[in-house]
Amino acid sequence: MKRTFATILGAGVLVIGTVPASAHHSAAAYDRDANVDLTGTIREFQYTNPHSWLFVQVVDKTGQTVDWGFEAEGPSTLLRAGIKVSLLKPGEKVTVKGHPLKDGRPAAILVSVTKADGSVLSSDPALRRGPGGTPVDAP
Amino acid sequence: MQVFSPRTAAGVAIIIVHIFLFLPHTAAAQDYEKWYKQSEQHFLELKQKAGGGATLTWNQLPDWTGIWSHDGGTRFDPRIPNYSPTSAKLTPEYRAKFEKKLADQKRGIEWDHLSYCLPAGFPRWITEPFLREFIVRPEEVWWINEQQSEVRRIYTDGRGHVPEDEAYPTWTGDSIGFWDGDTLVVHTINNKEGQYNRGQPDYSDKVSTVERIRKVGADVIEDDITVYDPLSLVEPWHVVNRYVRVKTPDLRINMWSCEENNNVVKTPDGSTQFILKGEKGYKDPNSLITGPGETPAAK
Repeated sequence: MKRTFATILGAGVLVIGTVPASAHHSAAAYDRDANVDLTGTIREFQYTNPHSWLFVQVVDKTGQTVDWGFEAEGPSTLLRAGIKVSLLKPGEKVTVKGHPLKDGRPAAILVSVTKADGSVLSSDPALRRGPGGTPVDAP
Repeated sequence: MQVFSPRTAAGVAIIIVHIFLFLPHTAAAQDYEKWYKQSEQHFLELKQKAGGGATLTWNQLPDWTGIWSHDGGTRFDPRIPNYSPTSAKLTPEYRAKFEKKLADQKRGIEWDHLSYCLPAGFPRWITEPFLREFIVRPEEVWWINEQQSEVRRIYTDGRGHVPEDEAYPTWTGDSIGFWDGDTLVVHTINNKEGQYNRGQPDYSDKVSTVERIRKVGADVIEDDITVYDPLSLVEPWHVVNRYVRVKTPDLRINMWSCEENNNVVKTPDGSTQFILKGEKGYKDPNSLITGPGETPAAK
């Protein structure tokens, strides 16, 4: 199923090391060996507990719009990773990487978000980048 | 041929007896702990050693201010990764349960009661991530955990446990304690059954603990814990957990509502799944207050 999504959505396969920890639920639903890399437009950023969700509208090869949900940590963990709610606004174009659900529905656990200016937001300090992709210190 | 004189033999015997008598005290702390049969006996012995324990005055209290977070992920024994053989000496029943849990997880089947937005429970509470705060007062210590906005109250005013005929299992248990210098010694009983975390063993509602909590550095608070559980453990389990200071400037602990955005459900085979936005049964965090069918306020 993951291959199907990669084909339909033109998603690249990446090697991504870490998986965000979740205290609230098991990660059994996610395929941690599979990766999605999708470019789209932010529809909504739910900055909430127990998890935040970033919703991105992605247009597939057939021209159909698919709403992808990316699950992330709660606000205080994101804030400590430098991911402020104000940094991801509806309408903004982003590229999002994550580990998808095993059952093929359009959702994934968030690994990183690349903004239009090249900065990368992630809970993993090794993946974070500043504008233009420059290295940044962990907050 | 006489190798040892009677006097030498007696001396050797005395040395051997002393070695056995003092072995627990000279060995590592974790070895010392397991000689105790009962947590209450352990707690009372520590209290006796502390001269009866103290209730500190305001100016005697240690400074545990700041925001802290558990070091070592969600491991109960920080030395042992989750989903690995445990350092706990389990009874056959609980060992079988643990082995089944690990086998299920390998098949992709795993559930956690936290996903129902229930509290973690104690002693699992020790392991939960996110932010923590200690409010230290003479008569009690509040140990606040960001997750679920929980507060664990440790009474240090000299009171005993809840009387048996009034006691019932609770999510954080019934904790009483005393100060031994700058170390908070705590006895906790009346807990609900649970698991130390995902990928770790279960414990029964007969579980109890003795903790010695103290600041071991400017940025580290240590919780030295011995767990007693006659149903799940064949001997007490001793672990040391640490909490490190979170240095993010101006960080604060906000209200943490698990129901705010929880669309996790348990599958028929006992695993974890999500109801996604747009699917039947999805609880939209934007309309939880306005109610279903009503239009949420524009953002």
